[in-house]
Amino acid sequence: MQRYIHFADTVSAWFGKAFAWCVVLMTLAVSYEVVVRYAFRAPTVWAFDLTYIMYGTLFMMAGAYTLSRDGHVRGDFLYRLWSERTQAKVELVLYFLFFFPGVLALIFAGWKYASRSWRYLEVSNMSPANVPIYQFKTVIIAAGILLVMQGIAQVFRCIITIRTGEWPPHAQDVQELEEILQKEGAEALRHGSEAVDIVEPKEPRR
Amino acid sequence: MTDPQVAVAMLGIFIFIILLGFPIAFTLMAMGIIFGYYAYFDADRMWMPYTRALQQDADTFTLIQNYIGGFFNNRVFDLFVNQTYSVMANDVLTAVPLFLFMGYVVERANIVDRLFQTLSVTTRRLPGSMAVAALITCALFATATGIVGAVVTLMGLLAFPAMLKARYDTSLAAGVICAGGTLGILIPPSIMLIVYAATSGVSIVRLYAGALLPGFLLAGMYLVYVVIRAMLQPQLAPKPEKLGDDVTVFQVIWMLLTSFFPLAFLIVAVLGAILFGFATPSEAAAIGALGGLLLAMAYRALTWKRLQESVYLTVKTTAMVCWLFVGSWVFASVFSYLGGEHLVSEFVQGLDLTPLQFLLLAQLIIFLLGWPLEWSEIIIIFVPIFLPLLPMFDIDPLFFGILIALNLQTSFLTPPMAMSAYYLKGIAPPHVRLTQIFAGSLPYVGMVFLAMIILYNVPAIIYYLPQLVYGR
Repeated sequence: MQRYIHFADTVSAWFGKAFAWCVVLMTLAVSYEVVVRYAFRAPTVWAFDLTYIMYGTLFMMAGAYTLSRDGHVRGDFLYRLWSERTQAKVELVLYFLFFFPGVLALIFAGWKYASRSWRYLEVSNMSPANVPIYQFKTVIIAAGILLVMQGIAQVFRCIITIRTGEWPPHAQDVQELEEILQKEGAEALRHGSEAVDIVEPKEPRR
Repeated sequence: MTDPQVAVAMLGIFIFIILLGFPIAFTLMAMGIIFGYYAYFDADRMWMPYTRALQQDADTFTLIQNYIGGFFNNRVFDLFVNQTYSVMANDVLTAVPLFLFMGYVVERANIVDRLFQTLSVTTRRLPGSMAVAALITCALFATATGIVGAVVTLMGLLAFPAMLKARYDTSLAAGVICAGGTLGILIPPSIMLIVYAATSGVSIVRLYAGALLPGFLLAGMYLVYVVIRAMLQPQLAPKPEKLGDDVTVFQVIWMLLTSFFPLAFLIVAVLGAILFGFATPSEAAAIGALGGLLLAMAYRALTWKRLQESVYLTVKTTAMVCWLFVGSWVFASVFSYLGGEHLVSEFVQGLDLTPLQFLLLAQLIIFLLGWPLEWSEIIIIFVPIFLPLLPMFDIDPLFFGILIALNLQTSFLTPPMAMSAYYLKGIAPPHVRLTQIFAGSLPYVGMVFLAMIILYNVPAIIYYLPQLVYGR
């Protein structure tokens, strides 16, 4: 199980990070468009399509990466108060009820949608540049497959946690600046313990 | 159960699942699919190929195939993929990764300490000078990056100890940093307003124009409060012992030129390009990101590692926001197909509220939601419930959006999920109590309410710029 988790994390991170560079391409392409439009009065016909294609690909392909690093928002004000074992038990059930139906439907529906588009090699109708978008629609399937794969890894994580009583550590990854700087006071970011702190001051931390 | 009752059950179950702490985006997607399957269940249509095959006396294999295929013929799958695609091809949301990228790059450009130092020297003769400098630094830095956690943490490490060392009151110093850092989600170019634009269909350009003066109003109120407080109770913010009289005017100007103006120029250029229609928000964001990269390069802070970090953080945050949209749009269209939206509006109509009462009720609910939830969940999931009710009370969604943007400032400052306070607590010296931070933030919550009342009575503050620039 550990090995599968590691494998899924690596694959998700690889895809997420590879497509993350779309943001740099977007920055450069759109800046180029603005420059040629004003400096040379020669706007490109492809920039508009390119922008949303890159944006869509970027966030869809990163869904599994974000899931593997627990980056999707959750209303965790109760969740944080539970023991890790309870968290894992609840989550295990919820993955089957409220995760897999959605992402499996994404693959299935995306398949119908993209294959229709491939059949006539659909191009964008937003601009006269005839930018192909069938590959863009295929991203839906790819994102769904990555999510199912990562979802299975998350289920394994829950099972391990139920056995051992604590969440297996996440792989090394980039962190928000505040998280890095907050290392020392990480305990304070666990709101559950903080809520107690308001009522009953604990010993100074160090 | 009638369909609208199912819709209410759907909302109820959803809120219950949120309480359990499961990732919200996927909960929304799955519930949309499950309830949508029920809502769009149409046996005649779904098994039409099967019936036809039966009539044509097809072989058993084809019959079985068509029978099983019938289960997948539900139109909810088309709805799901169409909603997903409309998030993917949304031309407003394209600005989200670009603004985030700009924010992360600027955040890592080693600019904030320079900025704070310059501003403390510049404002040294004002009462409560360091608090004023911290507030302006927070506001400017938060506007450029839009990342509240980073601003509060960085300033908490930099300005907070400096203020404590100068024997400033702990609460006063804490409040300035928490409230100042939170301004980033209000003052344009803020990502929250893009998200609201995508949810409500209000033009993002008009939203930016509308939010500018209210943002300045709030920041101005914070400033005036700090100065007056320091004048009335000088013991809270003692004057620095060394006034720094040896610093010449020329030096101050040079410091401003190298720290304050480049960042201010970047913000003004991005905003100006959007407001005067030279560029779409996405284009301006791209230029802003490029400008941020150049700025970081000028400060010799652009390393390969930092660029990588910025890129990866951008993608994670974008995925977080946009998957929430995918889930929410699927959920919302099923909810309204089942008649849930209609039921809500009938219910509200039955309450027989005046527009003012409705506005107060809506803002109160959003304020209360801000206690446990963060702005992204509130705007993407809960605000759409209010939006269809606005025409009933003749409330402009632009006006409503600006009030929400102000209101959500409090969600960072009020417990139990006061993110600003927790970020500060996390890096503050151990003797600083969370209660002191809350006490310091409380006046700012009050000022947010005051600003909302002012805006309600003088909506011209919101409409002045949009009317000036776009004539409507």
